[in-house]
Amino acid sequence: MRRDISALLAAAAPLVLMYAGPAGAATWGANYFPNVPLITQDGKTVRFYDDLLKGKRVVIDFIYTKCGDSCPLETARLGQVHRLLGDRMGRDIFFYSISIDPVRDTPAELKAYAESYRAGPGWLFLTGKKADIEAIRKKLGQAARAGENELTDHSTSFTIGNEATGQWMRDSSTDDPHYLAAIIGDWMGDWKNRVPGQSYADKPDLPASAADRGANLFRTRCAACHSIGEGDGVGPDLAGVTKLRKRDWLAAFIALPNEMLAKQDPIASALFEQFRQVRMPNLRLGDVDVNALLRYLEAQDAAGGGGKDGRRVSQ
Amino acid sequence: MSSQPGFFLPSNASRARVKEAEGARRNRLEIVKALSHGAVSRRDLFKWGLVTGAGLLAPIHGLNPFVKSAYADSNIPTGAPRSPGTAGLDFTQPMLRLEVLPRKPVSSLTPAPTALSNQTLQTVDPALGGGFGPIEGRPPGPDWAHQRFDLFPPQVAIEATQEGAKTNPNGNIPFKFHSNLPAQGPLAMWTFNGTVPPKLVLGKYGQPLLFRHHNKLPADVSQNGGFGRNTISTHEHNGHHGAENDGFTGAFFFPGQFYDYHWPIILAGHDTINPQGTDIMAGSPHDNDDGYDKVPGDWHETMSTHWFHDHMFSFTAQNVYKGNAAMYNIYSALDRGNEEINDGVNLRLPSGTALSWHNLDYDVNLMLADKAWDQDGQLYFDIFNLDGFLGDAMTVNACYYPFFEVEARKYRFRILNGSVSRFFKIALSDGSPMIQIGNDGNLLPHPVVLTQLDEQGIAERYDIVIDFSRYTPGQKVWMVNLCEHEDGKGPKDELSLSQALSGKSSDPCVGKFLEFRIIPSPRPDYSQVPATLIPNPDLSNIPVVRERTFEFGRSGGGSDSAPWTIKTDGGGGLAADFSRVTAAPKAGSREVWTLKNGGGGWDHPIHIHFEEGQILARNGSFNNVPAWERGRKDVYRLKPGGSVTITMQFREFYGMFVEHCHNTQHEDHAMLLRWELDRGLVPLPTPNPTPQGVEFIDTKALKDAF
Repeated sequence: MRRDISALLAAAAPLVLMYAGPAGAATWGANYFPNVPLITQDGKTVRFYDDLLKGKRVVIDFIYTKCGDSCPLETARLGQVHRLLGDRMGRDIFFYSISIDPVRDTPAELKAYAESYRAGPGWLFLTGKKADIEAIRKKLGQAARAGENELTDHSTSFTIGNEATGQWMRDSSTDDPHYLAAIIGDWMGDWKNRVPGQSYADKPDLPASAADRGANLFRTRCAACHSIGEGDGVGPDLAGVTKLRKRDWLAAFIALPNEMLAKQDPIASALFEQFRQVRMPNLRLGDVDVNALLRYLEAQDAAGGGGKDGRRVSQ
Repeated sequence: MSSQPGFFLPSNASRARVKEAEGARRNRLEIVKALSHGAVSRRDLFKWGLVTGAGLLAPIHGLNPFVKSAYADSNIPTGAPRSPGTAGLDFTQPMLRLEVLPRKPVSSLTPAPTALSNQTLQTVDPALGGGFGPIEGRPPGPDWAHQRFDLFPPQVAIEATQEGAKTNPNGNIPFKFHSNLPAQGPLAMWTFNGTVPPKLVLGKYGQPLLFRHHNKLPADVSQNGGFGRNTISTHEHNGHHGAENDGFTGAFFFPGQFYDYHWPIILAGHDTINPQGTDIMAGSPHDNDDGYDKVPGDWHETMSTHWFHDHMFSFTAQNVYKGNAAMYNIYSALDRGNEEINDGVNLRLPSGTALSWHNLDYDVNLMLADKAWDQDGQLYFDIFNLDGFLGDAMTVNACYYPFFEVEARKYRFRILNGSVSRFFKIALSDGSPMIQIGNDGNLLPHPVVLTQLDEQGIAERYDIVIDFSRYTPGQKVWMVNLCEHEDGKGPKDELSLSQALSGKSSDPCVGKFLEFRIIPSPRPDYSQVPATLIPNPDLSNIPVVRERTFEFGRSGGGSDSAPWTIKTDGGGGLAADFSRVTAAPKAGSREVWTLKNGGGGWDHPIHIHFEEGQILARNGSFNNVPAWERGRKDVYRLKPGGSVTITMQFREFYGMFVEHCHNTQHEDHAMLLRWELDRGLVPLPTPNPTPQGVEFIDTKALKDAF
């Protein structure tokens, strides 16, 4: 039974604040964001606006745990940024990875996913009612458009914002983690209590390897999960991988890891189990990129190791 | 506030419908607020049928502004109520001319400009972290020193602030779109000197300028009226100068700082073509007589109409929309802004005769932009509409639907599309001809007579001549927009003139937007439109060293694609990261670049910084290149599914530049890439500005960039 609008507004009227005009960041606050309930990976119910946004600096992305495409990279990239932001995480900066497949992504599933990626403090993995999550996506400009698959066509960008100041921006999940950390930690902040970075006047010359396609791909696409010679991360340490595996297998796995897993390739299946069921993402790399990566990995193996972000060894 | 595309009620919506939409927006806000304060519960709303089981406000008439009205007069859903207070205001106020920024002696600048960034320390506002920081925001050190500062020392200084809206002390002009509309508050609009009219810089070849831009925006980033960022970077679109002066998207500066932009105003080819400055076609007009001084460089590269605007990474759309945009006319012996001097070089385009150069009597800048405002009349913008934001009110030089008195003679109009996401297509209301003489910065080889201009994408400049001598004093004729949008993705339709004039379009910005009132002409019209203006530079003997392909649009071609990315040479789709170098042409070389639209029915006006290109082909064929695009350009509309192949030369300066979609909402959502004019194999480190000084982030580079 529907009640008359005017009656509703009369009920609400005593609490309605006057529109404050354009001053401040009030435009993108409680009036704008849906205060819908979400459930964390620990089963706790939180309100999107009251508990997650209000007064906070946040990074929001949309993922689903069954994703074999870009979600693993998004999540691993956030993990890198999380480590760079250190103890500011959970204190004044918060990450929210919200499932767009909330029926399958139960809190327990999300908890396992978070643990696979070794998610640290201040990083929530959230599920909830599908319509509530749709409302959030829509308000952030991240809703699927007509004709798009709402799962596989989802935006892979990070929404970065500071609710207190009303500043919001988007950045790519393939961006350099140092750059993302600077944006989240500095641009979105108040410039107070920051640790000074490297002086422009003291900058080093860049190594020629900065121009290597394979090195660049490794840094932007692989280093979020893999090191070379510095131990396992989300995925295996790749030191010696070009000697351990056949080149054809490596090329096939880099290009189509999801299909290798689906057809139960024994090595792919073993790795999947060994690495906490983290899916190696299909990064949509073409032959040129796959070969560039393999050449880079071979060069590292020939040189006997490398830095975590692929910088230490030049070709 | 709408997160949906910027749909607005049609201009002829009934008052009841407008009121209904306003009411719906208000009700919606109040219900959301009541909910958040616990005054009503979700259960209450559910019980009353005001919320769906899914938790969304129910699509009920009178509650949800996104819902079609029970008595809607069109099928277009409405996202926000129309900007209020405009009834009866069309064509009731005169159009303001742009305000010329004073040209001052360089000695008037304190401190004096320096080649290296001035790193003198000052105290920093506590809202920006306090402590001390440099007075100039330009990155320190030799990499960011003004290139060739000794060779091109500034001779004229222009100084302006960026600050909140206020009354213009010159003429006591309030900051209003119309005298009957409310004044914009200091947080609603930010612009040069904080005043209207919008500003115009006058420069001439052979006379280097120093543009000192002071950031006087609020130090507290939250004091922004709901949109806009207080850190800025000023791009001179499309100057031939070093990257340190280009307004690089990551080289921004803070409130309390200034940034010195050095605009040398030299002809491209300065070092190699006509290096001694002997060619009579390349000249710098004298201030006080009809003569000119010859200057070095290729006169075929002469430019006329630029603009400058904010280029802050991720915030360009908001800041430009908020007012950070101005125009810049460049004068030369060829195009000197005097229609009477008959020296065999001067093209004598409509301008005036009183001054030796830069007469503006009959040479008129028109900055077109669509805007929207809220119920308090303050500028409104939806920062979460990533498809592209549309306003529902046309402004010309920040004036709401103005009129302009014109003498019955020839006029030149330098028309800038200064919108965020809207394209225009301009005709005259009586269908009579216009003569297009320039496209973007450059005059065309030959003028083109048109009864409708081509679609004009964001940041494109169309330079046209209209001859009003065909009208009699007392007559009126209107500029009409034929380009209809229903969202910010790109134009929906090109209407016929009669359709556009019918008032039936659901897009409020279709139709008449500028009224010309013809008055008698008291003076003779000396102006001409010569059959040949400025021929293109001849590149046929310069070998092409490299071809590159950039695809703008949805990446990957498979699932899970981000919509706004650029693919380079068939590689994976990459989104913006200005610390990544994507292409690094060699200085002195020529290249051919093909810009492709990745599809999806979107259109992208692509802007390449620093160098103008000649269009070699559209969709693979030169025959598809219309006459008005056969000059040189700096913005290329790809058109849905289309491609544009261009050729460019790279000369004289070095550094980091960008190319990007100039639908600034697309650009801010990462449709931007950096290219670097290479001076060796080592790219410049990327600056990371802070109020206390500029730091750096490592620059990465794709191997194939070199």
